[in-house]
Parts: sequence; C-alpha cells; structure tokens
Amino acid sequence: MTARLKQPGLLRGGWAILAGIAFAIVLDVAIRAAYSEKDLFVVQAWTPIALLASPLAFLVGIGAFDYWFYWAAGRPTRAEDHSSHGAHSWRDYFRVNTDHKVIGVQYVVTSFFFMFVGGLLAMLVRAELAAPGAQFVSGNTYNGLFSVHASLMIFLFVIPVFAGLANFVLPLMIGAPDMAFPRLNALSFWMLPVAGAMMILSFLAPGGSFATGWTAYAPLSTDTPIGQLFFTIGVQFAGASSIATALNFLVTIITMRAPGMSFWRMPLLVWANFSTSLLVVIATPFIAASQFFVLLDRSLGFRFFDAGAGGDPLMYQHVFWFYSHPAVYIMMLPGFGIISEIISVKARKPIFGYRMMAFSLLAIVLLGFTVWAHHMFVSGMQPWIRIPMMITTAIIAVPTGIKIFSWLATLWKGVLHLDTPMLWALGFLTMFTLGGISGVMLAMIPFDIHVSDTYFIVAHIHYVLFGGSMFTIFAGVYYWFPKMTGRMFDERLGKLHFWSTFISFNATFAPMHLIGIQGMPRRVFDYSEQYASWNLFISISSFFLGLSSLVFLYNMVSSWRSGPRAPSNPWKALTLEWQVSSPPPIFNFDHIPTVVGGPYEYGVPGAVHGIFKPAEEEATVAGGKGTDDASKKAEA
Amino acid sequence: MDGTEETGQQEPAPPASEQLRVAERSAPLGVIVAIAVVASILGVILGVLINWFPVAASSQAKQVDTFYDVLIGASVPVFVAVTAVVLYCCYQFRLRPGEEDMDGPPIHGNTRLEVIWTTIPALMMLALCSYAYVELHNAEKAPAAAQRELHVRVVGQQFTWTFYYPPAQGRGKEIASPQLYLPKGRSVKFKVQTKDVLHDFWVPAFRWKIDAVPGVNTGYRVTPTRLGSYPVVCAELCGLGHAVMRQTAHVVPEAEFEDWLAKKGGPGGATGGGGKAAAPDGKALFAANGCGGCHTFAAAGSSGTTGPDLDTGLKGQTAAQIKADIVNPNAEITKGYGANIMPPNFGQSLSPAEIDALVKYIQQNVKG
Amino acid sequence: MSSIAGTTGAVPHADDVHDHHGPPPANRSSRVDPQTLGMYLFIISEIMVFGAFFTAYFFIRVVGGVEWPAAGTALPKIVAGVNTAILVSSSFTLHWAETCIKSDNRFGFKAGMLTTFLLGCTFLFIQINEYFNIGFAPHDHAQGSIFYGLTGLHGAHVFIGLTLLAMVTTRAFKGHFSSTAHRGVEVPGIYWHFVDVMWIVVYLTIYIL
Ligand code: HEA
Ligand code: HEA
Ligand code: CUA
Ligand SMILES: [Cu+2]
Repeated sequence: MTARLKQPGLLRGGWAILAGIAFAIVLDVAIRAAYSEKDLFVVQAWTPIALLASPLAFLVGIGAFDYWFYWAAGRPTRAEDHSSHGAHSWRDYFRVNTDHKVIGVQYVVTSFFFMFVGGLLAMLVRAELAAPGAQFVSGNTYNGLFSVHASLMIFLFVIPVFAGLANFVLPLMIGAPDMAFPRLNALSFWMLPVAGAMMILSFLAPGGSFATGWTAYAPLSTDTPIGQLFFTIGVQFAGASSIATALNFLVTIITMRAPGMSFWRMPLLVWANFSTSLLVVIATPFIAASQFFVLLDRSLGFRFFDAGAGGDPLMYQHVFWFYSHPAVYIMMLPGFGIISEIISVKARKPIFGYRMMAFSLLAIVLLGFTVWAHHMFVSGMQPWIRIPMMITTAIIAVPTGIKIFSWLATLWKGVLHLDTPMLWALGFLTMFTLGGISGVMLAMIPFDIHVSDTYFIVAHIHYVLFGGSMFTIFAGVYYWFPKMTGRMFDERLGKLHFWSTFISFNATFAPMHLIGIQGMPRRVFDYSEQYASWNLFISISSFFLGLSSLVFLYNMVSSWRSGPRAPSNPWKALTLEWQVSSPPPIFNFDHIPTVVGGPYEYGVPGAVHGIFKPAEEEATVAGGKGTDDASKKAEA
Repeated sequence: MDGTEETGQQEPAPPASEQLRVAERSAPLGVIVAIAVVASILGVILGVLINWFPVAASSQAKQVDTFYDVLIGASVPVFVAVTAVVLYCCYQFRLRPGEEDMDGPPIHGNTRLEVIWTTIPALMMLALCSYAYVELHNAEKAPAAAQRELHVRVVGQQFTWTFYYPPAQGRGKEIASPQLYLPKGRSVKFKVQTKDVLHDFWVPAFRWKIDAVPGVNTGYRVTPTRLGSYPVVCAELCGLGHAVMRQTAHVVPEAEFEDWLAKKGGPGGATGGGGKAAAPDGKALFAANGCGGCHTFAAAGSSGTTGPDLDTGLKGQTAAQIKADIVNPNAEITKGYGANIMPPNFGQSLSPAEIDALVKYIQQNVKG
Repeated sequence: MSSIAGTTGAVPHADDVHDHHGPPPANRSSRVDPQTLGMYLFIISEIMVFGAFFTAYFFIRVVGGVEWPAAGTALPKIVAGVNTAILVSSSFTLHWAETCIKSDNRFGFKAGMLTTFLLGCTFLFIQINEYFNIGFAPHDHAQGSIFYGLTGLHGAHVFIGLTLLAMVTTRAFKGHFSSTAHRGVEVPGIYWHFVDVMWIVVYLTIYIL
C-alpha cells in the first residue's frame, strides 16, 4: 500500500493536495503565532497560500516534476526509454504521459468537459433571465454564474482545446516525432484540470464564487469575498500552461521541421499556431501580472488600485486588455488554421493566396498589440487614446478580410464535399463575418459609447467566439476525429448536429443585438419589462442550443467506441498527418519524411507534398499523386 | 485510441484523385452579382426600418442614430456578399455523383483580385473612421452658449446615484437629489464620480455613457431635446446590486426645472417630486431612492434580496430606530448581510422632512 | 545521439544512448538548439512580466503624477548601487565559469559557479535587509506598492536563478559537465544574465530616475 502511495500518479497527487492545504494552514498559523496575533486560524489568510501550494503539490504528486528533481539533484537520470509513450488502455490517459498524441487527446477531452460545465452554467444564466425579476438566484449568485461560465469557456475551453488539437496534429504535420519538450508538454496539460477545478470549486467558497465577470475589474475584485481568489490564482495556472505550450510549439516549429519543410511549405495550421504562440508568449504575462496585482492588493494590502493612496484603477484595465485583446486572437487564429486545412481539402483546390494567408496572420498578430483600449472607450481614460485605437482596430478588418475572401476564392470552382467538417467551415465563414462586422461597428466610438456594456456586446462575443471559434473547433474535431481515434464518426448525426446548432445559435444570439441597442445592459439578473418577450425567446432557443450539443456528445462517444474503422487518409488529403496510419503509430514515423512540395497542391497533376525515404533509399511516394509504381513498392 | 503497434508501417497513400473536373460549369457571374445586390438592398432597407433604438431624447442621440444607419448601410452588403458567395458555391460547385475522384482547377492566386480586396475594405475603414471622428467631435464639442451650460455632478455608489446641482446664485451648498432633473434644450455637462468601485452612468435615451472611476473625474455632455422620463442605468458591473442600480431622468421644460431647483435648494422646501409643493410622499421616496431594489417590502411590492427583508426585520421597531438604520446603515448590521453595501449618505441626500416621511411610511406599512 | 537528447527532454543527458526501437531522430531544421531557443523565448515572457509591472509604475508615477519617492521617504541609492555592482560582477564570474568548463578547467568551473552563487546570495541578503530598514511598507501608499512590487518581483527571479545555479553547482561538484557537454550550464546561465540585466533596468527606474 505505501508503495502505491509513493508511486507517481493520481493517488499520490490526491494526498499531496491534502498535504498542500495542511502546509498552508500550519504555515499561516505559525506565522500568526510568531507575531502573537489573537486569531490564529483565519480562512482569509491561509486560503491564498493553500490555493498556490496544493496545486503545486498535486503536480509533484502525479509525477510531473520527477525527472527534473533527479536532474537537479545531480542523480543519474533515467534514460528516456520511451516506455511512457503511447496509450495502451484508458488508464494511460490518467497519468503523466509524454506522448504528444496522448496529451492532445487529454487536452481535447478535458477542455470539452469544461465546455459542458460552462455550458450548463450558461443554461442556468438563461433560466434566470427567462423572465424579469429574480427567478431562482440572487444577484450575487447570478454574477458568479456568468463569471464562471465565461472564465471556463475562455481559459479552459477555447484556448486549451486549440492547444490540444495542435498538440496532436502539429508534430505530425511538420514531420517531427514529438514536441520539442515532451515533459514540459505533460506539465502544461496537468495544470489545466487544476485551474478548472479551482474555478468550479469557487462556488463552495464562503460568500460565493468569484462574481466580477471574466474581466475582474479592480477595485471591485479587490474587495469582494474570498471566491475571487479562485479566479485570481486559477488564471495563473491556466496562463502558465498556455505560455509553456506556446513556447513548446515555437521551438518545435522552428527546430524540428522535416527536411524540405521550409516555412513556405508549412500547412497553414502550423502557421496559425506559430502566430498564436507568438501572441501567447508575449501577451499572457500581462494577465498574470494583472492578477498578481489583485492578489497583492487583496492578500498583502498593496495599494496598486487604491485611488486614495495614489493607486490607479484604470491601470488594471490597460494591463488586462493588453493581454485580453490579443487573447481574442489567441482564440481565433488557430481556428483560421483549421479552416484553411478543411476548405482546401474539401474543395479539392489549393489555398488561394497561400502567402497572403500567412502574412495576414502575422499582420493580425502585430496589429493585435495596438488595439487594446477599444475595450475602454467608456472607461474614462484619457479621451485622445480613443482615436488611434479606433483606427488600428478598424484596420484589423483588412487582414481578416483577406483571409475571408481568400477562402471564398478557394471555394470558387472547387469540387465541394459538403460533409460535416465542411459544413462547420462554411458556417464559420458566414457567422464569423457577422461577428467581425459587429466588431467593426464597436470600433466606431460614437456607436460603441451607446452599446458598450450592453447585450450588443454579448451578441458580438458569442458570434465571434461561438460562431467563430466554436464552429472551427467542431470542424476540426470532426475533421481529425478519424486520425485521433482510428474510427469514423456518424455523418448523419454530424449533419444533424450542425443544422440544429446553426439554427438555435442564431435564434439565441441574434436578438441580443437588438435588445442591446434598445438599452438592456449586460451582467444583470433583472431587467425591465420591455425586454421580457425577447429574453424568453432567447432562453428557449438557448435550451435547444444546449440540447444540440448533446447530439455531438453522443456521436463522439458512440463513434469512438464502436464506429467503423477509419482508413489512414479518408479525406484524400496531402498533409503529412494523413500519410500515417489512423491512429498514427506510436512514434509517428519510422523515418522522418522529406518534404518536396507545397501542402495544398490539389488538382496539380503529379504533385507531392512529402515522401517517405526508408533507409534502403526506396522512395515511397506519400501525399497522393504517386505513380502506381511507387505505391506498389511501398506495399512491398 | 487503441494501442497501435509502434511498427505501424506507413500505409501507402490511397490513389488520389487524378482527374480535374472536366465539365467546368460556366458560372453565370451576372446572376450572383444581381442576387447579392438585391439582397443587400433589401437587407439595408430592413436594417434601417427595424426600430433598433429607444426614443431619442438628446441631440447626440439623433447623431448616433444616423451614424448607425450609415454603419448598417456599410456592413449589410459585406455580410450579404460573403453569404451569397458561400451559398452560390454550395449550389454550383457541390460534388455531384461521379465526381468523387475529381479535383478542382489548381488556381494559386490572383494578384489583381488580392489587391482589390485589400484596398476596398481599407478605403471603407478609412471613410468610416473619418466619419466617426467628425461625429464624435461634434457630439463632444462645447455648445455655442457655453456659459449657459448646466453642470451636474453625478456620484455613484453601491447601489445608487446621487445628483448634485450647483447652488442657486452660485453660493451655498450644492443641491443633492436622488433624481435627475434636466431642462429641455439646454446643454448639460455631467461630472461623474464614484465613492467606491466602478459604475457607469448611462441614459440610453441620451445614447451616451461613461464610467465613474475612483479618484478621477470623468464626464460628458448632452443636450436633452425631448420631454419625458427616461431610465438611468448603471452599466458597469459594480457588485451584487448592479442590476437594480436604476433611477430616472426627467427632462422638463426650462421653467419647471428652475422651479424645481429653487424648491430643492430653498430652505425646507425640498420635495423631490416634479416641482409640486406637496408634502413629501414616503411611498414615492421609497421608490425613487431605489430602496426596493435591495429590500423586500410588501407594501411597495418590492422583492429585493440584497439587503434585509423590511417586513420581518423592522417589526416592532420605533421610528427613531428605523431612522438610525437609514441615516447610519453601518452602525448595526443584520446577521447574514455585509457592511458597506447600503449607501451611507441618505442622511445628506434626503432632506429631514423627506427622511421623516420615509420613516413614517415604512413604519406604518411593516407587515403585521 | 545529441539530437535525440535535444528533442526528448528539456535538458540534455549524455547517458541517452539506446539501441532499442525508439522514435526516429528528428530533423534539425535550425542552427539554434531547442534548449537555448526555449530559454530565449521564456525570457521574452519574463521581460513582458516585468513590462507589466513597469506599466503599473508608469501609470502611477507618470500618468498619476505622484511624488517619487513618497513624501518623507528616501531610497538608499548608494547601498543599492553597491548591491548592483555585486550582482553585475556575478555575471562576470559566471562567464568565467562557462569559459573554464569549455576548456575542461574543472577547478575554475567549480570556483566560478560557487562564487556566482555566493554573490547572488549576498545580493538577495542585502536586498532583504533593505526591506527591513527602508522605513515604509507596501500598504503605506502606491509608491510603496510599486517599489516592493518591482524589487520583489526581481527578488523572486533572483531566487529562481539561484535555485538553478544551486543545481548546476551541485552537479559541478559531482563531476558533471565537460568541454563537450555543457549546455546544462549555458541555459541556466542565460537566465542569470537576464536577471542581472533586468536589475540594472529596475535600479535605474526605481532608484535613480
Ligand atoms: C474570438 C474572439 C474575438 C474576435 C476574433 C473579435 C474580433 C473583433 N472584435 Fe471583439 N470582442 C470579443 C471577442 C472577439 N472579438 C470579446 C470576448 C469581447 C468582449 C469582452 C468583454 O468585455 O467581456 C469583444 C469586445 C469588442 C469590443 C469592445 C466593445 C465594448 O466593450 O465596448 C470591440 C470594440 O472595438 C471589438 C471589436 C472587434 C473587432 C474590430 C474585431 C475584428 O478582429 C473583426 C474582424 C473581422 C471582420 C471585419 C469580418 C471579416 C472581414 C471581411 C469580410 C472584410 C470586409 C469587412 C468590412 C469592410 C467591414 N470587440
Ligand atoms: C467560447 C466562449 C463562450 C461560449 C461557447 C458561450 C456559450 C454560451 N453562452 Fe456565453 N459568454 C461568454 C463566452 C461564451 N459563451 C463570455 C466571454 C461572456 C461574458 C461574460 C462576462 O460578462 O464576464 C458570456 C456571457 C454570456 C451571457 C451574458 C451574461 C450577462 O451578461 O449577464 C449569456 C446570456 O445569455 C450567455 C449565454 C451563453 C449560452 C446560452 C451559451 C451556449 O452556447 C452554451 C451551449 C452549450 C451547452 C449548453 C452545453 C452543455 C449542455 C448540456 C450540459 C446539456 C444540458 C442541456 C440543457 C439543460 C438544455 N453567455
Ligand atoms: Cu453601479 Cu453597476
Ligand atoms: Cu478586443
């Protein structure tokens, strides 16, 4: 028994959490005793310590740091024998695993779990809003509901699920056997459940969960009950996780591409994750810092945001949005990558304007750092800042437009396979355009001043995040499902999922534009009688939206368990991940392939993206377009 | 993922499509352009016809509404164009039986097209930004008769607004009011402040808003142009009572406004009610000061839960006790409720007569 | 097999030769090695964390226009200046240690690492001592928050750097590293140099300007 308790794993992680909490309490009581305070046991005081210590203890417990401890102590490190690669049973998904494909699946499944929790909270939000007046929650609980809803959706769903999909396919796409730092990769993943659990558990905190929105503006966030800390500290773990992953992607993309895979031969998904990772590495430290400030103000009495003592509440918003505006592109660019893959394959045509597609990603990255104060048009900051921010914000429509138009041109004259992934991609094109256009309207100061902090913003949020990011996530999950699981999904259910979501999504979020302009503010549990009928309509539609995601859940679970076996390349795609078996072999490739052409040369006679060159110099043609001769040799 | 053997030899790529689609369908470009144009026009008409905004009660509101119509005119065609192309492609270029192994033509790009679709949105953005700049400038610039501008200090706190008017003849104390009264046709400049966290002072009918920020004076100006009563809304999350931080703005004729202000400021003449010199009405005061937003009180039909239930909590209390609770709310906190939630300044913002009326109303109507 | 070592762990290990079936060696598509690149990227992130704290400094001191340092307080420029010299000199001793290991001078390597480590500790000790004598607390005013925030953030980085140095020093005394395998010295070394340079910026903005 003791042996099992000492072995790295969830069990050791479990008691490590308890040890972390005990450590925090003892430490705090000891300090208080040393300063001879009257109250020794103060929940307010030891909770922040426990929130920092127990997750770290958990990570040590499950063994995420074992290797580094050996190394640090100068003890002989166990040579990497690759025994922990791959997953041979479901248990292998519940331990620290360094295989990028296992980590990818861990990421995707975990973040969808948080999506369903976040969605359930949204259902409660909509139930409360079905009629004016208080239905079943108080103002404070309501504020908690949408705060946790948004935080889970953003920090534990959209951002990590993209990291998960890329984790799975990116090394395969560039012909690498794994990520550059597999152990760091595992650590990044395991920080997620920590952050998510913390945010959900905040509902148990005395005084309720954090209730200041996902933006947690100071000084409200520095003087609300202790639940706020669960956000302040949870975000640190989610942020650390995404910085570590981004760093990993960048190093992998720069140093581990297959021979011949120049930057201009990389699939656009790789480009998209390259751009996103740049954003993450540069911007995410700012949200970490903003929450450090809040933590210091709350727990140690610092005065960053105390105007009476020289502090500056607006500083919080500048620091927060300097991360959180780039964050909205962190939540969109990987989706752009997914759409490029799918549209090219499903329209059987090369991506139109490949280089401009890559350049526009980089342009969005650059511009993304220059627009943060468009969230602060009504914040009371220096008025002159508004004008340059309006202009830079509007300019972002140009590179984004280039992408949209290039996708449309890719469709033109193609042979469109209108199956589930493609439907989501096309749905994305239209819905994201709508959300982007409402964004451009918001950039226009005179209009934004009226609709800022209203349901018009809520509509924009969901058109870009649901109609944009979420649609691309569904597209990507359906597209790579055969590769990840080795099974085909049920096409009929996939289409049902698309249409039911598409319709109920619009019914839910389109009317919000209207009630927003009419004057309904956001973040309220109660509203005036005049918005009652639209809100009821929205609530009912949102329940259908919730039900439609159950179709997806059922399809995924049942297809994974008993769907028909997937061939290695069901979509006849050229990119490298489709040239290996489904699911891919444990080390991805027997031999690193050599890339000899662009990734999207559909319709070009005899075009090849990558070839596998076994040791015997027998060139095996991969990526389609091989001659019969070559494919026969490969079989031999 | 069931365990694949690590030897998993790469499967040969399946024979990929080798033909191009031969029968290239001639795309009647004119048709799609025509459809898009008609749909855009219909869309813009619809967009302009929909009754988006609440009534416009300030000159700024009319500007914003026109600005919005221009935005609709610019953006609906963009959306319609994108959607039209998607739908057209789905119809015209969909996979037909027998084409399973075909590829589309390998078109890699077209510089002229790319230049066009970079330039047009860029120009559109330039035009919209310039227009927005001009409108913003017009809406914010000082009025011609700047010295006649009314200055109102707006102070937010959890969870109510108080409005301070300059004293008559510029002497004496500022005049505090829980309700916003504004003369029609005269430019008002609001100076917005807060006592605790962020709030946001918004009158949807005026189309303008600004955050109240600790330690900073923010503000804006509007010129009310329409008589009537309009909601004042707090638009920045400020805590558990954010949703009920609502008051009313009354736009009244100039003479009536002066009247009201004089009574409000005059010795013992404060009424808070539309300038009529009646005795203060406790029930109206209860409603006007947002008490019901936080407190359940059967007589007023309110069901707020932010603060203690007055029906049960105040049973058997004397008038003096109730008065102390209103004027000095932090002295005694009901179990289960937090300190510093109820505004501590009703003692200043209400006149003694108003407080007495309020206390009397509450005491007489406590259930049972 | 250095390319495999480079791709399977954050840190290289010489004992990684295995002849059983494993992943194919990854292609190296860049001349920079992964560890060094990773460290540089991490330092970009770190610079941005400091950047956010400097943003706070900027808003409170420049935009807000508060008195600096707060009325009635003074910052010990001289002591901190000496302390700066101590920290900067540790960068030189570290560089010396790195040069030594490249020519297999084990004594110089060990001495260099140990000196660097001790200089770092001295810096941290003086800094903490300063906190006790400076005469204001973080909760006194926003200036105090900024002062403790920035120097504290830097101090935390010194602490992390010292931890890394301690690991390298331990391993140095255990006989690890050689002229052919010293990336495990260089990568933490980059971090330590960064910590030093960052301090110069902090010192200039907080104490001097
Ligand atoms: C995926 C996330 C995502 C994305 C991609 C975007 C994209 C954009 N957003 Fe959005 N935004 C959010 C998520 C996102 N946003 C969230 C979550 C908030 C609320 C935060 C909160 O307060 O809680 C917000 C809030 C927000 C505001 C602040 C509103 C306020 O609080 O007052 C503004 C203001 O400028 C804005 C603008 C924009 C713009 C201009 C874009 C542009 O990038 C869009 C560009 C795209 C297009 C324009 C469509 C395609 C282009 C064409 C077809 C070309 C031709 C087009 C034209 C000529 C118009 N957004
Ligand atoms: C990716 C991001 C994302 C996603 C996917 C969603 C999804 C949804 N959101 Fe969310 N939302 C945000 C990001 C997101 N939201 C953000 C950033 C805010 C701003 C918060 C703030 O102000 O700080 C916000 C705020 C917000 C509000 C405004 C709250 C307020 O201001 O008072 C509302 C109100 O209707 C809402 C509703 C919904 C609904 C109905 C869904 C639905 O799409 C959810 C559908 C999914 C499910 C429901 C899945 C689970 C289903 C089951 C478990 C089955 C059970 C089903 C039934 C009971 C029918 N959201
Ligand atoms: Cu005050 Cu919201
Ligand atoms: Cu933004």
